[in-house]
Amino acid sequence: MTEINETFKEKSSFNKRLIFLYLIFGILGIIFYFQIFNLQISNYSEYEIAAENNKNEEISVQPLRGIIFDRNGEILVNNVPTFDLITKPFFIDNPYDFLLKISSFLKIEKEDKEIFLAQFERAKVLNKELTLMQSISDEEKAKFLVRSHMFENAYVGKRYLRNYLHPEIFSHSIGYVGRPNEDELETLISTQGLNKKINYSYTNQLIVGKTGLEFIYEDMLKGKFGDNLRQVDARGRTIDETISSVPMSGENLYTSLDLESHKAAHKALNNRKGAVVAVDIRDGSIVTLFSSPTFPTNQLANGILKKDFDQLIESEEKPFFNRALKGRYPPASSIKPAIAIYGIEEGLIDWDFSIFDEGFFTLPEDGRIYRDWKEGGHGNTNLFKAITQSSNTYFFDLAYRSDINQLNEHLISLGFGEKACIDCFEEDKVFVPEPMWKLNKHNFGWFKGDTVNMGVGQGYLVSTPIQLAKYAYIIANKGKYSDLSLKKDLIKNEKSIQFNKFTNDDWYKLHESMINVVEGNTGTARRLKDKKSYLVAAKTGTAELVSGDNREQYVETRLDDNLRDHALIIAFGPMPNPRYAVSVVVENGESGGSVAGPVAISVLNSLLQE
Amino acid sequence: MRYLDFKRFSIYYDPYLIISVILLSVLGLFFLYSASDGNSSVLIKQSVFVFFGLALMIILSQPDPQIYYSYSGFLLIISMILVLIAIFFGPEINGANRWISFGFITLQPSELCKVFLPIFIASYLYRVSLPINLKNTFLTIFLIFIVFLTVASQPDLGTAIVILLSGLYILFLAGLSWTFIGSAFAVFIISLPFLWNNFLEPFQRQRIATLFNPDLDPFGSAWNITQSKIAIGSGGIFGKGFGEGTQSHLNFLPETETDFIFAVIAEEFGLIGLTILICLYFFIFIRCFYLSINARDRFCRLVIGGLSLVFISTLFINIGMVIGLLPVVGMPLPLISQGGSSLISFYIAFGIIISMASHKKLVPR
Repeated sequence: MTEINETFKEKSSFNKRLIFLYLIFGILGIIFYFQIFNLQISNYSEYEIAAENNKNEEISVQPLRGIIFDRNGEILVNNVPTFDLITKPFFIDNPYDFLLKISSFLKIEKEDKEIFLAQFERAKVLNKELTLMQSISDEEKAKFLVRSHMFENAYVGKRYLRNYLHPEIFSHSIGYVGRPNEDELETLISTQGLNKKINYSYTNQLIVGKTGLEFIYEDMLKGKFGDNLRQVDARGRTIDETISSVPMSGENLYTSLDLESHKAAHKALNNRKGAVVAVDIRDGSIVTLFSSPTFPTNQLANGILKKDFDQLIESEEKPFFNRALKGRYPPASSIKPAIAIYGIEEGLIDWDFSIFDEGFFTLPEDGRIYRDWKEGGHGNTNLFKAITQSSNTYFFDLAYRSDINQLNEHLISLGFGEKACIDCFEEDKVFVPEPMWKLNKHNFGWFKGDTVNMGVGQGYLVSTPIQLAKYAYIIANKGKYSDLSLKKDLIKNEKSIQFNKFTNDDWYKLHESMINVVEGNTGTARRLKDKKSYLVAAKTGTAELVSGDNREQYVETRLDDNLRDHALIIAFGPMPNPRYAVSVVVENGESGGSVAGPVAISVLNSLLQE
Repeated sequence: MRYLDFKRFSIYYDPYLIISVILLSVLGLFFLYSASDGNSSVLIKQSVFVFFGLALMIILSQPDPQIYYSYSGFLLIISMILVLIAIFFGPEINGANRWISFGFITLQPSELCKVFLPIFIASYLYRVSLPINLKNTFLTIFLIFIVFLTVASQPDLGTAIVILLSGLYILFLAGLSWTFIGSAFAVFIISLPFLWNNFLEPFQRQRIATLFNPDLDPFGSAWNITQSKIAIGSGGIFGKGFGEGTQSHLNFLPETETDFIFAVIAEEFGLIGLTILICLYFFIFIRCFYLSINARDRFCRLVIGGLSLVFISTLFINIGMVIGLLPVVGMPLPLISQGGSSLISFYIAFGIIISMASHKKLVPR
């Protein structure tokens, strides 16, 4: 009896508990059903739109970049059409079978296959297109097109390549484009409102300016992405694609660069390490900005073999280094006109003041000897002769009597230690050495001898070729100048250096002395005299990399190519009304007059020919 | 009538359960064909599982329930050994060791535990006198947690939760005292912060957080739920039609063949399709409820009740997740989602339920 009662009790407890649990699920079921009803009926239209938006894709359409011209309207960079074989991985079941099928009539590079296979899965999931072959030939195109009915999942698309027409000449000044890095991509997405999917116009897909003008004028050149609305069916096939907004090509860039002068500079430098910068004196625009050796921009922009790239990177010549903007060279004797202006302005010398140059200067403080380049010296030397024959002794003496801080201020006003150009890529402004700098850097106080060395542009003073060109331009234009620039017709303020004692007459005499450097029988650049049909003013320089105490040491250091002196020249012409100012540096070229000089003259010749 | 008598031998069956299970399975194949983008190899594989699973269900419903009572311990031990083999020797897939590979098929032995653990607990509690004393309560809970933690360590939280529930259901149905339930619940609530910080993986916490605030991470863990809701909502009353679901076929919806197949059905067949599907499930529950209430003894009552609740829980967790009311956890839609292990385990469960429902108790003479 108890057992039956127990069973009955147990059964009724079980039933109650089972009903309890089922009731919980019943309530949950009602909540769930209510939620489903909510989604499918109450909010149907909202979700329907969301689903529609999902399958209607906004697609960004890539614009073409602006074309870059030289100052005469010659095209330097444009976009050339090319044909690519493009695949749609979403419709490819097996990438290996697909490649096999294509390979039966087209030869696909092993590297292309590997890239295709590596990116396949991702592109398939995202329903993105994938380029299999770039820049296919007409024959390959025809071979594919006759079989195109067999390929619902691939097509031949017209794409563009960024094309550098003079890749070996404008490597540094124009620069090149490349794939955006993460930061650049972020900027693209935020500023251009890029969608997840993009119709590419370029074979290399997204491109941004990496260096040079392509980088500096990126905002102008890049253009604006357009938008397409693409509808796809449940299988992902495009049903319709309509244009919402057309892409806007980038603005064209008209530069002040001159093609012919670059060709002349390239030819004259002949791949030696060095740089040429030429400035139009009328408005301070840069007509020549050339660094040597150069590198092939087309390959960098459109695909370079790793082997070739490594070779460029590891080259001792450092072709990527933009010597015109970043090369640090002692200005050497080319600084002398600047020191002369300072001397006259401060009343330390005038054109009649002369010294007797016996071939060296003795520092009164400790008797240290500072040698002239000419043994025995130049004899009785006034300023005119000191510039024409480049007397060191004269300028040692003048510098000795200078105040270093005043002199520094003066050099800065002439463009040293300052950025010369407003739209150049990564210009190095270097610095004008001052006593505090030396104390910090070398833990040594400033010696009088350091000032003496600065008088001939040696010691701690360094400058870049573009600074030298600006300096030449200021002298040529008698103290009036604008900031240098590369874009044509840029509006800039004209600046002018204020002098108290340095008069127009002094400018005239300074120009005369510099003309005599070339035209005079004793000038340091007299060999240039017959290479042109107009008058040129110039000042040569030979920058010593290692200072020797005596001639034997000097001869010894010359045996090593890399320790040989740099050859420099600043020049402007035609005189008396100069149009162009130019600076040339030839690394390890030894003699400013005979090595850098001819380069400057060929550039001036090409500029003045027109 | 619960069996056909062919003079020599009888076939035991329950017509309502068998028909509704077969109907669900066939519907499942139909849905799976669309959900897998018309992939015939997926369909063929699943059909083979369904066919053999149904056969297994019929076979398992033939012996007298006494056999499950006698072998319940053995079956649980075998299941646990397989789980351990999967952990230590199984292939690692996506950082988890849940599977045992037999070359042509891979099976997930933890699925068996959710059938054999409740049966074992039922057979154990069958013998103890009521009310269940504290010692037996703790012994049972201890056992449940061992199995739960072992499976959770694979890691496979979804299956582990169902296993935990399966054990607790039996314990509850067998008459666990309300005082104990009350205090255990209190302890659970108090230790919730501790569990949150120490037991859940960061991604699991993230999933729970996004459930309450989907804007927290619209492209991360909330993405799946957002897309799933869009799929369901855009289905409307009538759905977009078989194979026409854009959410499912354009890769917006994740895991269409497995965890999110409910959203595919909702998108393509709308509220009407879902209602029919839900009615089928509902019918199975009601039938199980009836069978459980009228079972021949306490053991059968507990097992039918427990196994049917496991089935219901799996269904509710899956749907709750897909419609955005529960956090995302790997859980199949029973009898429909792709995956042989889950299918087979439910066929085993129904086989045992039918066996218990169709065998009358031998009256001792």
